[in-house]
This record gives sequence, C-alpha cells and structure tokens, in this order.
Amino acid sequence: MKIIILGAGEVGFHTAQKLSQEGQDVVLVDHDPEQIKRVADNLDVQVFLGSGTSPRILRDAGIENADLLVAATNSDEVNIIACLLAKNLNRLLFRVARVRNEEYLLDKNLLGDDFVDIDHMINPQSEMVRNIQSLMEIPGASEVIDFAEGRVKLIGFTVVENSPLAGMPMISVGELSQKMLIGAIVRQNQVIIPGGKDTVFAGDMVYVVIRREDLGEIPRLLHLDAGVLRRVIIIGAGQTGISLARLLDHSGITARIIEKDTQKCIQLSEELNHVIVINGDGADRDLLQEENVKDVDFLVALTGDEESNILISLLAKGLGAKKTITRVSKMSYIPLMSAIGIDTVVSPRLSAVRAILQHIRPGKIISVVPLKGERAEAIEAEALETSEIVNTPLSKVKIPKGALVGAILRGEEVIIPRGDSVIKPKDRLVLFALQKVVPKLEKLLTVKLEYF
Amino acid sequence: MHFRVVIRFNAILILFLGLFMAVPLVVSLAYRDGSSRAFAFSMAITFLVGLVLFLFTRSRQENVLNHRDGVAIVTLGWIMAGLFGMLPYIASGSIPDFTNAYFESLSGFTTTGASILTDIESLPKGVLLWRSLTQWIGGMGIIVLSIAILPFLGVGGMQLYRAETPSPVVDKLKPRISDTAKILWKVYLAITIVQVIFLLGGGMSVFDAFCHAFCTLPTGGFSTKNASVLAYNSAYLDTVIIVFMLLAGINFSLHYKMLKGDRKIFGRDEECRVFLVVVAVFTLLITLDTYGGVYTSFFHAFRQAAFQVSSIITTTGFVSADYEKWPAFSQIILLSCMFFGAMAGSTGGGMKFMRIILLIKHGYQQIIRIIHPHAVTSVKLGGRAVPTEVLNGIWGFFILYLCLFLIATLVMAALGLDFVSSIGAVASSLGNVGPGLGIVGPERNYLGVPLAGKWVLVACMLIGRLEIYTVIVLLTPEFWKK
Repeated sequence: MKIIILGAGEVGFHTAQKLSQEGQDVVLVDHDPEQIKRVADNLDVQVFLGSGTSPRILRDAGIENADLLVAATNSDEVNIIACLLAKNLNRLLFRVARVRNEEYLLDKNLLGDDFVDIDHMINPQSEMVRNIQSLMEIPGASEVIDFAEGRVKLIGFTVVENSPLAGMPMISVGELSQKMLIGAIVRQNQVIIPGGKDTVFAGDMVYVVIRREDLGEIPRLLHLDAGVLRRVIIIGAGQTGISLARLLDHSGITARIIEKDTQKCIQLSEELNHVIVINGDGADRDLLQEENVKDVDFLVALTGDEESNILISLLAKGLGAKKTITRVSKMSYIPLMSAIGIDTVVSPRLSAVRAILQHIRPGKIISVVPLKGERAEAIEAEALETSEIVNTPLSKVKIPKGALVGAILRGEEVIIPRGDSVIKPKDRLVLFALQKVVPKLEKLLTVKLEYF
Repeated sequence: MHFRVVIRFNAILILFLGLFMAVPLVVSLAYRDGSSRAFAFSMAITFLVGLVLFLFTRSRQENVLNHRDGVAIVTLGWIMAGLFGMLPYIASGSIPDFTNAYFESLSGFTTTGASILTDIESLPKGVLLWRSLTQWIGGMGIIVLSIAILPFLGVGGMQLYRAETPSPVVDKLKPRISDTAKILWKVYLAITIVQVIFLLGGGMSVFDAFCHAFCTLPTGGFSTKNASVLAYNSAYLDTVIIVFMLLAGINFSLHYKMLKGDRKIFGRDEECRVFLVVVAVFTLLITLDTYGGVYTSFFHAFRQAAFQVSSIITTTGFVSADYEKWPAFSQIILLSCMFFGAMAGSTGGGMKFMRIILLIKHGYQQIIRIIHPHAVTSVKLGGRAVPTEVLNGIWGFFILYLCLFLIATLVMAALGLDFVSSIGAVASSLGNVGPGLGIVGPERNYLGVPLAGKWVLVACMLIGRLEIYTVIVLLTPEFWKK
C-alpha cells in the first residue's frame, strides 16, 4: 500500500515509522529541511521537501497512485486544503487529516460530503480527552483502550504484590473468571503474548480484555477498583484542560481546575457551573495542600509545559494523591515515565498516532493499537469466510506463535474465547500479536484466496 | 561500530562474489580454455571464507546499522572484493604476481579499467570475461545489488547506499531503498542487453559483445583486445559505444524517468544539459585542433574526437586513437575531462558535473556579493535551491580531491615517474578513467609503474570510486573512538 504523509513532526514521524516498519511504501512531505533530514536519516521512506498544499509536490510524491493520504502538519488549514486538493488529484484516495480546531469538527456539514469529504478527521485534543475519560472509568488502570465502539475494553495495569493475579499461571486465570482474558504481559520492557504455560508475576504490566458489561465486576475482582471516582484536580486550563472540565462540569464529580492566568480563570469561571476555578500555580506545594490533594482520586496535569507536568505529578504523588495522569508530548520521554514513578501518561501526539493508525489498515483489519513501546499490537479485524481461522475450534487453529485471539464479537454478543470457542465468518475479532508476527497474522486472517 | 555486523555483511558480499564466479566458470567450460579449474578453485575458496565468516558472526541480536557501520562495511567490502576478485587471475596463472593481480582486480571493480596486462588476447576466455564482469558488478555497485536483493536491511540499507552511491545528494526513486536499488539494477541490466544487441549488429562476436557491454555501462573500459576498440576500426561500433558510454554517464534516475514516459527529461535536467553541451563543445574543439595536422579527413577527426571525449569524460577509458600524438591543446582538454567525470548518479567517476556546476555557481555568487554587498542569494540547480550544507560538502570534496591528487602525484614523481606520467596516472586512477598519459598512456599500460606506485594508484582508485569521504573518514582517529 502506498501512503503519503504530510508533515514530519512527531505525529507524522511516528506514523511513518510504524507504517514503514510494517512494510508499507511511505512517502513523507514536509517544508522544513531539518525535519526532512531527520526522517531521511532514520526511516526507510521517501522524502519530499515542499508544501503539502502544492499540487506539484503532491504529484511528485505520487498522489495519483497512492492509496492513502495522512495530513498531519501543524496547521489545520494546510491539512484541510491538502485533502481537498488530493481528492481532485485522486478520487480513490482515502484521506485522514489531523484537525486541532474543534470548531471545524463541531458542525458535520461544514466540511461535509459535498465539500472536502475527509474520510477521517482526527483531533488529538479530543482523542486525548477521551483517553483520559476512559482512564478515569477504571482508576487502577494505567491504560484503557476501546474496541468495537467501546463494547470491548482493553485494560493495562501493573500487577501488585497482593493482586489475585500475582504468581498465577495462565491456566488458572480462567478459573478466576471466565469473563476476562490476559492478552499481553509486559515484563522488563519485553512483551509476552502469553500461552498456557506462562505465569503472571507481581511487577508485570498486563493487558486484560473484558466486556463493557463487566466493567464493574472484573476490576473489583482484580483489586483495581479504588471506589467511586469523587474528586479530581485538573492543572492547566489549556484546550484539553477546558474540554475535560466541561465534561466533568455536570457529572457530579467534585472537580477543580488550577490555572495561572487570571484572565483565563475569569473566562472559565463564567462558563463553568460546578467546577471550581482556582487561580494559582499548580506546582505550588502550599496551594496543592490547601486544595487537599491527598484526598484526590485523580490529579490531571495538563499544562503546556511537559516538564512542569511531570514535576507536578511527582509532587502530587508525594503529597498523597491516589493517582495522577500526566500530559507528556515528547515521545522520547514516555518510556522513562514508569521508571521515575509516574503511572499514567497521556500524549496528544501518541493519541493522534494511534487514532491515525486505527483508521488506515488495509482490507478487513478494522483498527490497530500499538501497545507498550510499540512492540506488540492489539488488532481489531473481521474474520473472512475464506480464512483458515473460521469454523474450527480455536485450539485447533494454527495461530502463529506470539499471537492470540482476545475477544469475538458476533452481532451484539461479545465472547471472551476459550479453547473450544469457534469463530464464524463475519465475526469481529480482537487479536493480540507481537509486531513481528503481524504480517503472518494478516495472512491468516485473509488468505486462502487473496480477496482484496 | 558493530564489528560483528560489519563482518557479517562482508561475508554476504563475499558469498555474492562467489556466486558471480559461476559465470566465467561456465564460459570457461564451454570454451575449454583451461581456466575452469582455476575458477572452480577460486569459487570454492570464496564460498568457504564467506560461509565461515557468515556462520561465525551469527547472533540473536538484531543487525542494526549506524552511519559508521555503513561506511566501514562499504570500504571493507570493496577491499575484499578486490582480494577475492583476484583469485582467478592468480589461480589461472594469468597474473601470478600478487600486486599486479590485486591492481587488475580492483581496477576492475572500481571501473577504472587500468590494466597491467601487455598481451590481453592471450588470456583464457574465462579470465577475460571475469575481468569484464568485475567492472559490471562494480559499476552499479555490489552494495546496491545486495540492498536490492536482501530484504532485511531496511534503514541500514540507506546508510550503505549513501556510502556507495556516487552523488552528493541521494535521490530515492521509490519509498523503499530496496525498491530503488532494484530499479537501478533493472535499468542497468536492460541498457546492457540493448547494447549487446547493437554490438552484435556490428559484427562483433557474442563473447566480445558481452565483454564490451559489461565494460561500457559501468564506464569501466577493459577491452578483450590489446588495441582496445581501435582493433575493430569500425565507425558503426565506435558510434554504438559512444552512445552507450554517454548513456552510462547520465544519471540512472533520469533513465528510469525516461523509461517511465518522461521523454524530455534529458533536456529538462540542468546537469544533463550542461553535460551534453560540454561533450559537444569539447568534441568540436578537438576536431578543429586535430583536423589537418593529425587527421586529414574532417569526419575521421570528428569520430576520433567524439569517441575520446566521451570515453574520457564518462571515465570509461576505451581507446580508439593514440591521443598522445594529438596537440597539447587537445591533450589538456582530455586531462580536464578526467577531473570533470560524468553526471552524479551515473556509473562514471571523477568529480561529477553536479559538483562542478555548483562550484562555479557558488563562485559566481561571491562575485555578485562584491557588487551588491547586501544581496541575499542562493545557489540553484534545476530551479531548486541547494542547501548550504550540500555546498559545504562539495567544497570539502573539491579540496580533498585536489589535495589527494597533489600528494599522490608527488609520491609518483618521487618513485621516479616523469612529470606527465605522474599527473596522468594519478588523475586517471582517482577519476576511475583507465588510460593516463606518458608511460601509462593509451597505447601502453601500468605494468611499468613501480611496486609502491601501484599501491598508491590502487588507493586512488578506491578513494575515487567511493567518493573520498567514505574511505577518508575511516582514516581519522575520531572514527574509531567509542
């Protein structure tokens, strides 16, 4: 598949990296020679120096025979115009654009079918807010990922000493509950897709698949439930902070938002009804104590300065906050976070990369989410009639080593599979796989005959 | 630097070479020229060494390449190619001496075409074919070939590609480096086959046609005849070879675009336009200079001038006339051609037209600055601004090229070569041309150069083929620091 990516910033770079590692033909366009050089030095992709809104550059980049355009420059306007041009250069092109300004997204008709007709608009901000929201649903989890419109949830959390899972072999997990399945274990930066013989140890990070209906039951079983969410502090009233505050305004949760800028505080207080707006520095120890940070369920650090966010979260933890969510933009910081004791990180860029990757897979693969360090993936895919995987009990199917089926969706029903479960054609599956076996898995899902 | 990966990759290159030796082996069997045992023996040794190194460096770690590894792999790879490539010469007894055999072998791989052989025609057919084949492999580059074939290189391939490709800027034709390398080799192969057909049409034997095509496309210049192309003395063959030498001197990306349907690309590309115009002007000047004095027929003068200019400027080095009998004016034009070389991204050697054009433009820009002290200017090529970083790289290249030329010439003179021969031999080796001037002139060969001088020239050929930086960087202490 040929993919053109506009913009070689963090989002463009990481999307390109992921796709080229998967063996797709990637072309990257950016107008900054420095960025282009960074990409050319590090990735096996073709680069073009120039503007994404230039038809000549788009033609040079081969838009006429491309399958997909990802417009991920810093400017919404450039992204939208590029999609508009691209549509006229290649009617069959699938277009994904990063659009930050929510105004463009609010009115569906504004950039509707008869005008720009972008196949997917991705707003990193709202992706991230959605991410924070799911994290708040399960306070014990450090990652929550939705599949099948949220009917299946993937929860990532660290197994503590007194967890029922600690020291448990895979075979016994089924005895603990039939309603969950461990899809991946991360141990010392190594991702394991578990087989029957593996055992979970304390200190591991595990990814568990559950149904939405069991959202109450399973986390309690796993001691992940810290009780009902009652108190939240948001630091920083940027776009994300404000969106989150708006969401919490009528939720019955006691929320406070701390912002340095007085003018912003005044504006915000005029808009919000229940959320308390506090004017002050989020990194101020006294202020945090004054706001009773030790009783807070969640402290969300969302200021524009990521280093401050990290320090604020550490400070809040030290003062007794149960849980913190930290906004970090630089991708290179993310692997360091667990080492310094920050449990949950959100990143607009990572959210955007995920959202882009989810929507652009070829054929019958519906979405893909990279897990921990991108060495493993959770994949949502449809089982084709022609695939070897259907109509055979799962224990008999030759699933490649390093891959497993995490959930089966049949119509309204969600099945957490066991060895005797049978996949039927048209079922939607949630699969886990190490990155290196993904191509094999794709083959398993599609072949016997090349269908698309 | 990851020594394991460097060795491992070289092992693969050696195995490739062994594979290529099968071609002359089959030919020598077919012609019963008595060299088949030598090839079987060389192939066995090459495979053995390659396999031992390959298995020895097996590891569960991933093969990750950084910039330094790329440089080390490429340089070492070329040195190795020379070493294993000379086995057939020694084993068959054609060139029993180590220095001479290595000289001939590396001269082949670097597409220089400088030879120490006096009586080429007496050699077995298999050895002759191997000589030509080394040039053909070296022309597009053995590394580029391995990138095309080996799928696992990924980003590492880019590091290698950059270290081997003769161009200041690397042009990717396809998103994946391996696809780009594949395209280049396919174009290369296609043009070679077309040339073979044309040569056969001129009455050349099948064997000679293949050997000459194998030496034209890489701008190598080995011939199967003692008198080179002069032996045929055919206007048709001269014309065919001129055309294909010029094609080989043109950037292969342009060939690809041409084949994709962009018919006007040669005229539109600035470097190509300048290249062709310069060839035409030099041909005309030499024609006028030699007409009347050396040659009585204008057409004959033109044919010789065109052939020799094309041959030297593309750094092929085929000989159709003893240009040492030409007036000094013509000889100096040919000497400057040795420095110019062909286009960037072609198989030719020398400094490359792209660099010359940019240097002149940059120089002109400095003059404009004197007239308009506040002028903001940029150097453009083909309508696009060239980054200062690239220009700096070219200046560095230019200075190093001249320094190396001076030092090597001095050494050659110290070893007892005369003025003209020293200059000719070094300019020719550094530019990967082949024939030089004086005692290494078109009618003679490199056998008479002293032993130390041969090694100096070998170094020049390698440095010239890998465009200076790749080799020189290995000689800096900084490179070896952890």
